[in-house]
Order: sequence, then C-alpha cells, then structure tokens
Amino acid sequence: MSKKNRPNDRAARAAAALEAKQREERRRRNLMVGGVVIGIVVVLFAGWLIARNLDTTKDVTADAASSSSEFGVTIGPDSAPNKVVIYEDFLCPFCGQLEKATRDDLSQLAADGKVQVEYRPFDLLGGGDPTSYSVRSAGAFSIVLDKSSAAVTKKFHDLLFENQPSESGPFPESSELADLAVEAGATESDVRGPIEGDQGNAWVVKATKAATDAGVQSTPTVLLNGAVFQDGRTVEDLANNLIKQLQ
Amino acid sequence: MREWVGLALRLVVGGVWIVAGAIKLPDPAQSVAAVRAYQILPSDLVTPVGQLLPILEVVIGLLLVLGLLTRAAAVASAVLFVVFIAGIASVWARGINIDCGCFGGGGANPDAASQYPWEIARDAALLAASLFLAWLPQSRLALDNVLFRRTPVIEGP
Repeated sequence: MSKKNRPNDRAARAAAALEAKQREERRRRNLMVGGVVIGIVVVLFAGWLIARNLDTTKDVTADAASSSSEFGVTIGPDSAPNKVVIYEDFLCPFCGQLEKATRDDLSQLAADGKVQVEYRPFDLLGGGDPTSYSVRSAGAFSIVLDKSSAAVTKKFHDLLFENQPSESGPFPESSELADLAVEAGATESDVRGPIEGDQGNAWVVKATKAATDAGVQSTPTVLLNGAVFQDGRTVEDLANNLIKQLQ
Repeated sequence: MREWVGLALRLVVGGVWIVAGAIKLPDPAQSVAAVRAYQILPSDLVTPVGQLLPILEVVIGLLLVLGLLTRAAAVASAVLFVVFIAGIASVWARGINIDCGCFGGGGANPDAASQYPWEIARDAALLAASLFLAWLPQSRLALDNVLFRRTPVIEGP
C-alpha cells in the first residue's frame, strides 16, 4: 500500500512545487507589468504638463482694436463694449471661410455700436517673398488704407476675399488688384501706380513683424477683447460662437 | 523566423512613431493647430489631444522598439492608425485640404488631395504591421523576453 503510493507522492510534490513556482512567476509578472504601466502613465502625464507649458497657442498679446491702428482697418466705434481683432492672410482659405461666415453679422454689429472689429492683414503664407500673392495683396491693402477712407479700405478688403485665388494659383496680377481697389471706391490716380509698383511691400514687412512679435502664428487668429478666441469645431462653429458672444 | 519578422516590424513601426512624435514634441502649438485643422474634435478637446499626441507617439514607439509590453503597445499603435486613417479619410471626404500633420506641419495645404491616398496607404501598411504584432507579439531581442521569461511547463510523464 504505502510502497505503491510513494511515486504518486513524489509526483504530487513535484506538481505542487511547479505550481508554486508558476504562481510566484505570475505574481512577479503582474508586479512588473503594473510597474511599467505606472511608469508609462507618469511619463505621459509629465510630458503633457511640459507640452502645456510649451504651448504658445494662446500667448498672443496684441494691441487692442483701434481706429487709429497702423496695421489694420477698423469698423465700429472706439467706444464699443467688445473689441475684436482678426489677423488674416488674404490667401489663407480658412480666413476666406471665416470672412464669408462673419462679414454680414460683424458689419451689422459694428454699425449698431456693439463691437469694434479691426482686420489686420499680414504675410503668413508668402514667407516674405515680395512677388507672392500674400505680400502683394497685403501691400495693396496698405496703399488703399493710406490713400482712402476706412470704408473704402474695408470694401477693398472684402473684395479681395471675394476674389480669393486658390493657394496653388493662378494668382491675380498687381494690376488686377488695382482694379479691385478702384472698384472699392479708391481714387484711381492715387492707388494704381503704387499698387502696380508693389510699393506696399515695406508696410507688409512691418505689419508681419508686428503680428509675429504679438505671438500670432497662424491665420485666422481671432482676438476677442485681447484673448485668443478658438471656440468652435469648424470655421462655421467658430463664426457662430463669436457672433453669439457679441450680441 | 517569425520572431525575426516580429523584430523587424517592431523596429519599423516603432521607429516611425518615435520620429513622428519627436518632430512634434518641441512645438505643441503647431501640433494643436494641426489637430484643429481636421475640424473634427470640439474645441475643448483639441488642445489636450494636440498636446498629448506627440508624447504618446514617442512612448508607443519606444515600447515597440524596446519590445516592452509589445502586445499592448501594438494594440495602441493599431488603434491610433485607425483613428488617423479615419481622420484623413474624413477631411478628404469633406473636401478640406490640409497637411495631415503626421510629421509636424499641419494646416492648409493646396496639394493635400493628391497626398491623401498615399498617406492612407502608408498608415494602412503600418496598421497591418501593428495588427501582426498584436497577434504574434513574440519576437527576438525584446525586453519582454528578459522580463517575462516563463518556466516552461513540463509536458507528459
């Protein structure tokens, strides 16, 4: 009887020892996985905190909208309770969409004295190339701003967006920009020569430097009372939410 | 042989993640702008997602290259590729022309439509590699092999 059991005992002991070893291994394995997972979570969280600090999206400190601004055209009175600044590039497609979605409402709100909006074009997409559409269009804007009334300049600004070329071209000649300026109501003898001679380039360099110094990195950048306004999933959402804030 | 294939896929997919994430790490603002340009996420989510994605990419890449928690990392990698493919397909379908922001950059890009198919193909290939690793995570030169070595179960009498 007892002799018969002995091999079984030995097998049972061996099995028990193996199971204990495997249990110990599972425990060690679970601890290890847990430790690595905790490590990963810590790294992700720390990385996120650092990224938040490095994120300069909202670090735009620009001059408030003002009818006496050097680099923009303004609608609405200086006394309006809300001030909006829109940094834009005449070539940027999202700027064109934002224009389309906000123009009528912003014009109405400005006329009602509820908001003052300053449009500040600069060269984002041209990268400083004086022959680029971004530079030429902003330069033409500056010439009209200099020679004509704010209303004419705003009209020219609107026409530039209505006739916005595709980012991949073909781009209008500067003489066509002069045509639009005249259509907006600028005096032809005042503006055609300077626009066709691309004489606004120096202004564009200064306007672009002012925008970059203010922290603007993309277009359109909308500031509502000094703070970057980005509330919206799409450009249309953004436009609707902005108008809601101003009513 | 299969384990060498696993090693090669780990290095390729992990390497792509590390490069893609590392390029974006220094400039979270650009990463956030790239996420925003997809016009998919609500604005409250755009910022944290844009800030977190680069670091997440680097971490997944490191796990794959080191062969640490390979299966979990491969699953996470596959999920991200599915999300990216869906995102690119979505902007393509809506006619929005943006740089995918895959390796930095982002924002409007007039030639985007011609690049979407190739970007989706690339992500699909990387997705396939990730799925392979999730299915068969055993591979050569992996930390998993060192950390989680199992005592083989003795079979039979």
